[in-house]
Amino acid sequence: MLSNPLALIAEITHRCPLHCVYCSNPLEMAKAESELPTETWLRVWREAAQLGVLHLHLTGGEPLARADLTELIAGARATGLYTNLITSGLGLSEARLAELVDAGLDHIQVSFQDSREVPANWIAGAKAHAHKIELSRNIRKHKIAFTVNLVVHRQNLDHLEEMISFIEELQPDRMEIAHAQYYGWALENRIALLPTRGQLESALQVVAAAEGRLSGKIRIDSVVPDYYARYPKACMGGWGRRLMLIDPAGQALPCHAAGVIPGLEFDNVSARSLEWIWQESSAFRKFRGEDWMQEPCRSCDRRTEDFGGCRCQAFMLTGDENATDPTCSLAPQHQLIEAVLLAANSDKPAISQPTAARTFRQLQAEAAGAWHYRTNPE
Amino acid sequence: MGRPADMSQPRLAAGCRWGGSGEEGTILFPEGAIKVQGTGKKILEHCDGKNTFLQIVEELQKHYTASDPAHIRDDVAKFLEALQQKRIVDY
Repeated sequence: MLSNPLALIAEITHRCPLHCVYCSNPLEMAKAESELPTETWLRVWREAAQLGVLHLHLTGGEPLARADLTELIAGARATGLYTNLITSGLGLSEARLAELVDAGLDHIQVSFQDSREVPANWIAGAKAHAHKIELSRNIRKHKIAFTVNLVVHRQNLDHLEEMISFIEELQPDRMEIAHAQYYGWALENRIALLPTRGQLESALQVVAAAEGRLSGKIRIDSVVPDYYARYPKACMGGWGRRLMLIDPAGQALPCHAAGVIPGLEFDNVSARSLEWIWQESSAFRKFRGEDWMQEPCRSCDRRTEDFGGCRCQAFMLTGDENATDPTCSLAPQHQLIEAVLLAANSDKPAISQPTAARTFRQLQAEAAGAWHYRTNPE
Repeated sequence: MGRPADMSQPRLAAGCRWGGSGEEGTILFPEGAIKVQGTGKKILEHCDGKNTFLQIVEELQKHYTASDPAHIRDDVAKFLEALQQKRIVDY
């Protein structure tokens, strides 16, 4: 029997003041004028709560770019949904933060790019670092949960210990240390982001030590890179099993990257109820169950744990969305990953880091050839 | 942090709250939810930031008269400590 979704990820806009080189948004972004109106989102929240969804994650782009964010949060809270705001913090004044908390915000998750201002700003393609520190101090004045998210990769892993100490001073309840995952813009920049095996191993030790030291004070959740794992990740907890994602234009997707798989048809919340989409949408049904699986997944003992890994990654790397995720050591095409790891662990020179530029355009021009920066929708 | 002190006032941590409906209680927190029932639910219902740890223990001792009071006190302390480690309860 089909269980109900537990979390709804709402990408309420693709507009963003940041240009992060590992942004998970699709390369083709939804245009500002195609964004859903307030009342449609509010109906989606009501339908989600009725369907049994517990958590709502408001993300983007930058959700603060929506002028109706307070109303969206108040509407979500009225349905009982636990509301999480995933934000860069840019555009969040002390007054607006207080307004969002009053509207019923439960949890705020702020991303940091680094502990050091210069690299933080060129990874994000914006002067955001100092503002985020100030915002963190303001957040602690409110009684809401506070998570700091740090994306780690080849360019910053060597000073992970320093970054953890930096986050500790921001006093979050929780820190999320996530290795960049190679979708969207991160796949474009993969060679510059993929860590070496040595970096990964010392990072695991640093995280384990921090977990021990901060136990009971700050909870640490870490996401390991699947390229170095023996088995693939159970992406999204399995296709169409736990999560729904709605993009800015109202298309319902089983995950952030599902748009890359050719031939999938996404239903839109403007035309269909969430319940109908969860049960009937062909995109959600596509990889439920095991009928689509190939060998070795089909007869593998782990098929009920990791569901063959990520369908989007399988397609992006092998051209076949039904293939075993190539990050799996048992995958027939695992050599694709091995080749990338070999390159990442060779003695190639480090990617040059752009020096301080005054504007994003200047940075983009200076970094051309080395970095692909996320740009904004037209 | 260790076990709750006698006069501490256990409460749900910032950003943790009751949710869902029905017989079972659900505690919602940043990246998850736990279902609580029976004794666990009863303990957490008393964790309002006003009752002290001792008062919560006495409340339970009144309810479970057949059990050893020292044992109840120990169980409540262990339960709250485990939730504190998960950042769901503060005291």
